Amino acid sequence: MKPKERSGDKLSITVGEFFEKAQEALSLELVAGGDGMDNRIVEAAINRPGLALTGFYEYFAWKRIQTFGYAEHKYLSSLAVVARDERLKEFFCSKIPCVVLARNKKITAEMRKLADEFNVPVLRTKMVTKYFMNAATILMENLMAPTLKVQGTMIEFMGIGVLIEGKSGMGKSDTALSLVKKGAALVSDDITKLRVDSLSRALLASPVELTRYHMEIKGVGIIHVPSLFGVAAVRSEKVLNLIVTLCNKGDIDDSVSLDGEKLTREILGVDVRNVKIAVVPGRDIANVVEVATLDYKLKMLGHDAAKELDDRLIDVMSGGRGVYR
Amino acid sequence: MEEMITREFEILNQYGIHARPAALFVKTASRFDAEIIVEKGDNRVSGKSIMGLMTLEASKGSMLKITVEGEDGEEALAEIGALIEGKFDED
Repeated sequence: MKPKERSGDKLSITVGEFFEKAQEALSLELVAGGDGMDNRIVEAAINRPGLALTGFYEYFAWKRIQTFGYAEHKYLSSLAVVARDERLKEFFCSKIPCVVLARNKKITAEMRKLADEFNVPVLRTKMVTKYFMNAATILMENLMAPTLKVQGTMIEFMGIGVLIEGKSGMGKSDTALSLVKKGAALVSDDITKLRVDSLSRALLASPVELTRYHMEIKGVGIIHVPSLFGVAAVRSEKVLNLIVTLCNKGDIDDSVSLDGEKLTREILGVDVRNVKIAVVPGRDIANVVEVATLDYKLKMLGHDAAKELDDRLIDVMSGGRGVYR
Repeated sequence: MEEMITREFEILNQYGIHARPAALFVKTASRFDAEIIVEKGDNRVSGKSIMGLMTLEASKGSMLKITVEGEDGEEALAEIGALIEGKFDED
């Protein structure tokens, strides 16, 4: 079954979204240009506009957040008033999304006027420039990372991130619950948010904020997992390693899966191993998911049981003694 | 009682019935209702079991006796035969 695609690659975010998400972490305050909060930031990187302030615009990363550090301040104050106003005007009308003043520097009257005139928000942070640059870069990478919401229940089991997906009524939550009782931690029930980590290029799964750590168990209702099973039974985020798809018998051909036939699925450009399991009355699905997880873990340790048995069989058939290599 | 048909086949592909051919064999066999029994020497296994077929150690040149029993048995035998003669799309 295909995941429900909601949003893929984000092309841009608004200054307002950035401000809302980063306000606390980067101790930001809005000092001018509040009408420009809908300006779009198209590139995740943060720019130091030193060269632009000297009048060089042949190459200028105007799509990024512009940060004034100590160097920019010093340079601007070294200029004569007329030149400074001219440079600032040129800078503020170059379609930049917003400006951040680091080190809690005060905004000048001229800068305030230009910010309001060209609708360029000016934000101020107490942070030292280099720390702001690092923190803001990571935050922006995450804000602009491709995300996707899929229907599936995410757990962490024996260190492996497992997404259990399938149509409603297939027993996703029941399976997850059984595994939680066997020591798994619940990440999210039914709806799982996935995003690509900018550093590792792995898929990170997390719950939707409002419903997190709750599960809906048919016949019982909504339960709060940490209240019933303790805080060890939940987890806020986990790398997705394995997708287990619960299907109706007949939807899949599982008569012959040697090793799930090396099935993978691409999500947001990342290949994830996919195992399909037919749900049949009386079959202990949690048990099967547990084995699939263990087998995945074994493979990650470089031990492919199906392949090893095959190699051994071929060896025997060609006159060898069939010893494990 | 249903009619039983038995036919013999020689394994032609280089590596014999290892995991992949066994899987293909079972995939084909499982599409039929007929009972399918595969024999090599004294070994007698179900044609719908991967593990069973692998234990036959049916290498190149060995002879398999396949017996089918059921309404669609003849059809099953024809398809399985084609698979073996077609070297399981290997080599």
